[in-house]
Amino acid sequence: MIDCAGPEPFVLITILDTPALPNALEFPVPDTTLVRYPTILPIPSHPRPRFITALLLAAWLCLAGCAHHEKPLLIEDTKYFEGDMPADFSGYWQRDYASSDNINQVLRNAYYELGRKSRTSQGGIPMASDRDRSRLLPLARLVELITRTDELTISQTEHEILVERRDDFSLMCAFFDGVAKPADSAFGREVCGWNEDRLVSVNEFPDGLRVIHQFQISADRKQLRVITTATSKTSPMPFTVRLYYWRVEKRPGKFACIETLSMKRVCSTGELVL
Amino acid sequence: MAFVIATASPAALAQSAATLVAATSDGSALNVTIPIFDPGIPDDPSVFRDQQVFPRIREIEAKLMPFLLRETLVESEQWGAVRVTTKPEEAAELQLLGTIVRSNGEWLDLRIRAVDAAGFTWFDRVFSSQANDESVTQLGDKGTPEFQAIYAEIAIELAAVRDRIGDAAVSNIKGTSLMLYASELAPTAFSGYLEETDDGTLRVVRLPAREDPMLVRIETIRNTEFLITDTVDAKFREFNADLTRTYRVWREYRRKVGGYEAWNTRFAEGEASNAERGSWESIKHRYDAYKYDRITAQERDRLAVAFNTEVASTVDAMEKRVAELNGWVENGSREWHRLLEELYEVETSLQ
Repeated sequence: MIDCAGPEPFVLITILDTPALPNALEFPVPDTTLVRYPTILPIPSHPRPRFITALLLAAWLCLAGCAHHEKPLLIEDTKYFEGDMPADFSGYWQRDYASSDNINQVLRNAYYELGRKSRTSQGGIPMASDRDRSRLLPLARLVELITRTDELTISQTEHEILVERRDDFSLMCAFFDGVAKPADSAFGREVCGWNEDRLVSVNEFPDGLRVIHQFQISADRKQLRVITTATSKTSPMPFTVRLYYWRVEKRPGKFACIETLSMKRVCSTGELVL
Repeated sequence: MAFVIATASPAALAQSAATLVAATSDGSALNVTIPIFDPGIPDDPSVFRDQQVFPRIREIEAKLMPFLLRETLVESEQWGAVRVTTKPEEAAELQLLGTIVRSNGEWLDLRIRAVDAAGFTWFDRVFSSQANDESVTQLGDKGTPEFQAIYAEIAIELAAVRDRIGDAAVSNIKGTSLMLYASELAPTAFSGYLEETDDGTLRVVRLPAREDPMLVRIETIRNTEFLITDTVDAKFREFNADLTRTYRVWREYRRKVGGYEAWNTRFAEGEASNAERGSWESIKHRYDAYKYDRITAQERDRLAVAFNTEVASTVDAMEKRVAELNGWVENGSREWHRLLEELYEVETSLQ
């Protein structure tokens, strides 16, 4: 759950303990927003108090720089493809918690960035105003809600990519002749596109709420990065989290199963003949 | 409810009977041919989801529905043989060409064009019917009883036109049908019996004698073809019986999905949608409304796949058998055509 109480300055120690992203450089198109302070700041074995202060200051500065890269990718920016799909995401994926963003921390970073921009502070440290915090928090809660699943099942055909998520609807990207076919309804719109080898799925809702998922697979095809961004007209800034997933090879079961209409799921140890 | 696209005036149909020589008529009951329907699948696959068209299921419906119409016409006892065929037959006495316009569990829209052998269009209309639960209770597990009203309406419309045109027109249609069939098989012998009128319809200008040996052969061949058609028709009936139960479950699910969609709409219009813009309640509500809508649509797709999986073996077996029979007819037809032409040449050269 998101900690709604507000920022805690000492949490930076936790950030410094977070290991660097193991495979960040293996992705064909490195995400500039992945350059985070833990990777550039050495962790001293016995830090002295004055050094810790300097370290904290450097980290805060870096935080501000990192937040600059939080530019939401809009569907208008995406390109369509010709021929085969630019990437194959199919498979079972399980969340890599060690590499993935901590959503509370992302929120604190955002509060810091907002405070820096608006020159508001708390205890001498830049901090978003109450108004900005109350407007950003709903987006953060939404992102937390929709990224809760720790497993993704992705199936891909010549024309479609289906991302199944537990407790949520499946993201579905359908392409005809390389052009995405939007799924429109009275309640929102789902449209996909490609940004080089990144699959971009955009969910647009009434009132300007928008959720963007970007999927990218590592060069060795073992890791999947999903960047989820929520934006709204009422929020002072977008809210983005990056989650990593490891590919899981599922062993074939002893039973072969198919879905039928009148008999539901039918399984057999041998060949299934209806 | 019906939308009239085109109808022929009964007077025009009756007029066509003026020159009729009813030598080959065998009664006033017209034989009816119902080719499997056009499934009405859009050319652009990208619109399938929006229009809720599941191609494989539409193809199955296109084979099932003619059979249901056939049953209704047979039960009306106003027609001769009513046959379901795999493709249109130009020489059919009366042919009902159908297209599925909409079929979503709640509504069924069928476009039916009734055209006789002389080329007159009896009517070209879209028949529309909403699912009716009472029919389900009365008719039980038989095809799609919730849409029985649509087949009944088509039967009533056909009977009304038949009554208006009169027996003379019917005789002309039957004669034209036989001459059309004969001229397809033995064009050298029979091409002079029909002529095309200014409006594009056909008129019998003369008829061969009843005991004409070529005509006797033609009638024998036609009866053999009818026998094969009836075998195909019986296959359709088996097919219908095999699929009915699964198809009914599919229909019920489709209707349930319609109920979920209505619930989704009510939910989206619910109280939380009035929450302060940008608040958690408002954002969550918007997301949930969309989520339920997508889940409903995806469940619908999943059920379509499950239906296809369940009926695949039955459909494959049926299609294979029907293809064999059709192949046999087509091969036989080519051979008969050759033999009849040779016979005609031999017989006329002896005269």
